Amino acid sequence: MNLQLTLAARYLGGRKLRAFLTTLAVVIGVMVIFGMGVYLPSFTAAFEKSLLAASGQADVVITHKTGESFAATMLNRVRAVNGIAVSVGAVERIINIPPNFYGKNSTVTGLTLVGVEPAVAPYLHADYTTPTQGRFLKQGDGNVAVISERLADSLGVKLNDTVKLPTTQGVVKLTIVGLLPGRALTGNEQIIIPLAQAQKLLDMPGRINVIEANLGVTGEAERRAIVEQIKAQLGNTYTLGGLSSGSEFLGAMQMAEVIFNMLGLLTLAMGGFIIFNTFRTIVAERRHDIGMLRAIGANRATIISLVLTEGLVQGVVGTAIGIGLGYLLGVGITAGTGAVMKSVMNIELTPVVEPPLVVVSILLGVGVTLFAGLLPALSASRVTPIEALRPALSQVAQRFSRIGTLVGAVMIGIAIAGLLTGFFPLVALGGFMFLIGLVLVAPALVRPIANLFGMLLALLFAREGTGELAQGNLTRQPSRAAITASATMIGLAIVVGAGGMMFSLTGTVMQLFSKTLGSDYLLVPPSIAIWKGDVGASESLKAKISSIPGVGVVSSLRYAQSSLQSAAIKGSGEATISVLGIDPVEYPKISGLDFQKGTAQDAFAALAADERNTIVNGILAAGANLKVGDLIPLATPTGLQEYRIVAIGSEVLSMKINTAYISQANLKADFHKSEDVFYQVNLAPGADVALAEQWLNQIVADYPQFRLVGGREYTAEFSAQYDSIFIGFYVLLGVLAFPSLIAILNTLAIGVIERTREIGMLRAIGATRRQVWRTIVAEALLLAALGTGLGVLAGLYLSYVFVEGLNASGIYKMAYAFPGAGVLAATAVGLIFGVLAALLPARQASQMEIIKALRYE
Amino acid sequence: MSLIQTENLTKVYGAGETAITALNCVNLQVNAGEFVAVMGPSGCGKSTLLHLLGGLDRPTSGSVMIQDHPLAKLSDDALSQLRRRKIGFVFQFFNLIPILSSVENAALPLLLDGKNSAQAKHKASEWLTKIGLGERLKNRPDQLSAGQQQRVAIARALVTEPVLILADEPTGNLDTKSADEIADLLKQVAKTWGRAVLMVTHDPRIATHADRIVLMRDGQIVEDKRNAKDEG
Repeated sequence: MNLQLTLAARYLGGRKLRAFLTTLAVVIGVMVIFGMGVYLPSFTAAFEKSLLAASGQADVVITHKTGESFAATMLNRVRAVNGIAVSVGAVERIINIPPNFYGKNSTVTGLTLVGVEPAVAPYLHADYTTPTQGRFLKQGDGNVAVISERLADSLGVKLNDTVKLPTTQGVVKLTIVGLLPGRALTGNEQIIIPLAQAQKLLDMPGRINVIEANLGVTGEAERRAIVEQIKAQLGNTYTLGGLSSGSEFLGAMQMAEVIFNMLGLLTLAMGGFIIFNTFRTIVAERRHDIGMLRAIGANRATIISLVLTEGLVQGVVGTAIGIGLGYLLGVGITAGTGAVMKSVMNIELTPVVEPPLVVVSILLGVGVTLFAGLLPALSASRVTPIEALRPALSQVAQRFSRIGTLVGAVMIGIAIAGLLTGFFPLVALGGFMFLIGLVLVAPALVRPIANLFGMLLALLFAREGTGELAQGNLTRQPSRAAITASATMIGLAIVVGAGGMMFSLTGTVMQLFSKTLGSDYLLVPPSIAIWKGDVGASESLKAKISSIPGVGVVSSLRYAQSSLQSAAIKGSGEATISVLGIDPVEYPKISGLDFQKGTAQDAFAALAADERNTIVNGILAAGANLKVGDLIPLATPTGLQEYRIVAIGSEVLSMKINTAYISQANLKADFHKSEDVFYQVNLAPGADVALAEQWLNQIVADYPQFRLVGGREYTAEFSAQYDSIFIGFYVLLGVLAFPSLIAILNTLAIGVIERTREIGMLRAIGATRRQVWRTIVAEALLLAALGTGLGVLAGLYLSYVFVEGLNASGIYKMAYAFPGAGVLAATAVGLIFGVLAALLPARQASQMEIIKALRYE
Repeated sequence: MSLIQTENLTKVYGAGETAITALNCVNLQVNAGEFVAVMGPSGCGKSTLLHLLGGLDRPTSGSVMIQDHPLAKLSDDALSQLRRRKIGFVFQFFNLIPILSSVENAALPLLLDGKNSAQAKHKASEWLTKIGLGERLKNRPDQLSAGQQQRVAIARALVTEPVLILADEPTGNLDTKSADEIADLLKQVAKTWGRAVLMVTHDPRIATHADRIVLMRDGQIVEDKRNAKDEG
């Protein structure tokens, strides 16, 4: 191994630039995978944390399957079960805290409001009995609270101070009567208040949403028996254990993780191509050295291990640097998007590094490098010792595999056929086959495409004949040119594909956005779309807004959580659903849904009727295989209720979340929810805008959980947020495209080294430095044109696949927008890359000393 | 028994009408301590003979025996081992690895044979010193003259203490003075250190350093004589 390492180190050191560039390809691939691996799980984890923060420490925690409240009398049924030592009913509710609510520097983004019975709760939570200061709650307390010392510190309050809290009744001030020691539990800090007060503040009189119980026995079997008895008492609409998580959004995040991992893998594949190409060249270049080693007694295994050791060194170094930079990338993205995430979803991000991520990154980075080096290593081992004795003649022309071309052509054919069927699985498979097919046919395309562009170049460099020379240089090594072009192609395909999808998505979303949220004013809660933690307002706020002079239409959204069981749902057969209550009369006046099935008029009329009707959104319809006319049983606090689907339609806020729209009347009857979480307001024609706005501001001031924004302002804000997310994305795409620059540079540099003698000869018979320079640049342009052409083609296909994929999955009906500007930009970038990549090798070739070059082995 | 023995050694390149017989039923014996020069016009089969003797290529028919080992029966690995231990090669273009120093280049065969680096380098330094490069151990090939580079190559060939040195136009890339020095060195390899040396050359003047001159034409040995100057 000593010899192998020495040679690997010396060879790498001898060609520093190339070693650097090849290693860079590995670095970038690993960086993307690692960086995204650091960012996305931290995102998911933060989200999960905020969702699941409220799970308890009691032996049994009982919640309704929907996560919604139920009658406090249910507690009696639990207490009737033998073997339960103590059980308490409580209200637990996550309250998202609007930014700056507790001052500019406050880090508190969410609190859990816990309403407990002061007399019973301490039996379950021993820490309630040992406050470090003050006392615990007692019977007859009003607006008082007990909080932890840690929360008191972060809010900057002391015993007997007041702390304000957004509630459905507006902002309420609670007097702190006791401080508890800090809790070890993760998640939100709690504000503990008397149950009766909590029911009042959250507009849920007589209702609780969690029962905690401790069992009087310790035997595992006995405990299980008691749990079964409780289940029998309550029926199957209750969950025993933690809170059920509203995880539809987590699904979307996991999808994003998969997509980014795919991008990272493609980048690594691109890196693999580059490394493969480099090693092939290394082998070609060192034919003499390898032959000599064979002549003096090195066996094949030694030669293979020589090449692989070099790959290993690069793989290890590249992976190590990639992981380091990837971590910085992850941290950078976390910091960059942190502000947006906090304001849109109210979650805090901290980057996490999980051991499996490190292991996978290392395996991929080192593995791809070794794998890419394997074929060249094998071909090196086949170099015969005689090659050391003969002066080298570079190959005149290399044949390409006809079978490969044929297989590639068939794959492209199948891909196109798949595209025409419009059946998504086929379309997606087609995208993959299209890419591989192009890689396979690329060698056969080198000659015709080089000839075509060669003619253009010949015109450009008409008097020098360098265009033809460049074209000849390229076509005599079609498979090497094709591998380079393939690396460029994959790079640009990713850029054009993902860019094209973004383009279509942005267009669709912005259009939808102004349609759904195009009202004059909006009252926005801290977290839109993930409504669960939002504290809304009771019906009185809507009435107050409606009474403002000049206000024409007020429409509100109400939220309840539900679930749907259906065999069509993948996995557990059960999906969590956001149920949004709308006013079927007011809502269409001011907002709207984009209907995929059914019409607005019929659908809203059906919702207004005194029946259980619902409009479901695209993602829910697709996930549970629902059609118009289907009856779906929605889990409600009053039991399963059958709703008839009258239409399928979506709006921008709930695009990615299983959502059913029902009338607010039904939401109140079945879910006991009359709390508005989102408002849209339109002024009447000719209204006094300034006056109305002044009134609105004044009313909303009492409800700081809402932010009053102008519709146009909000659209601009959303668009800016959207862009700030995607600017990062575009930067990432640029990083992904970068390795293709290295690929071209590498191939050209290699070509120059290989043809040193020829270049010397050209100079000897009178070619000027300029001519040599131009030959190399022309070759680069041809190579770039080839890669760019294929890349744009593959990218368009991919973007179409992405868009069709979103459509077919039913998430949203998206119009495919041809990314014309993107194609032009990619072409320009591709060709500029070509010229940039040529600068160094061209300089090297044109500066060559003729005699030395002629003697070059 | 001779050190090298060939029997009806034949090598045909290509097949059918385009077949070229590079070597045609060659029988040759070389003994230990003997310095043999092989001469002849281009394409007469000199290099092919050298390649077959060194186990770099396989004959179409006939056999090569080195110290009674028939090469035909050896696997690729065994042949590699034979080259490593029994045969040293000297090439026209030196074929040194440009990134390694003189001593590292000369030590290569020992390293390939699994010797530890310190031992290998010690041995290589000894040989380099014996052939007059004691002062140039750390220099890389590009810091040496052509003659010096060829000496490094000869040290590399000798470092495993092989029984046979095969040299393919070892002076072809050198000026007259260096060429004579290298030829003398090869003679010393045969006479002082007792190796069989087989050298292919174009140059009659260089051939006169050898004990025996073998003349080839059209793939056959047409003359095999003791060197008159040597005898005299």
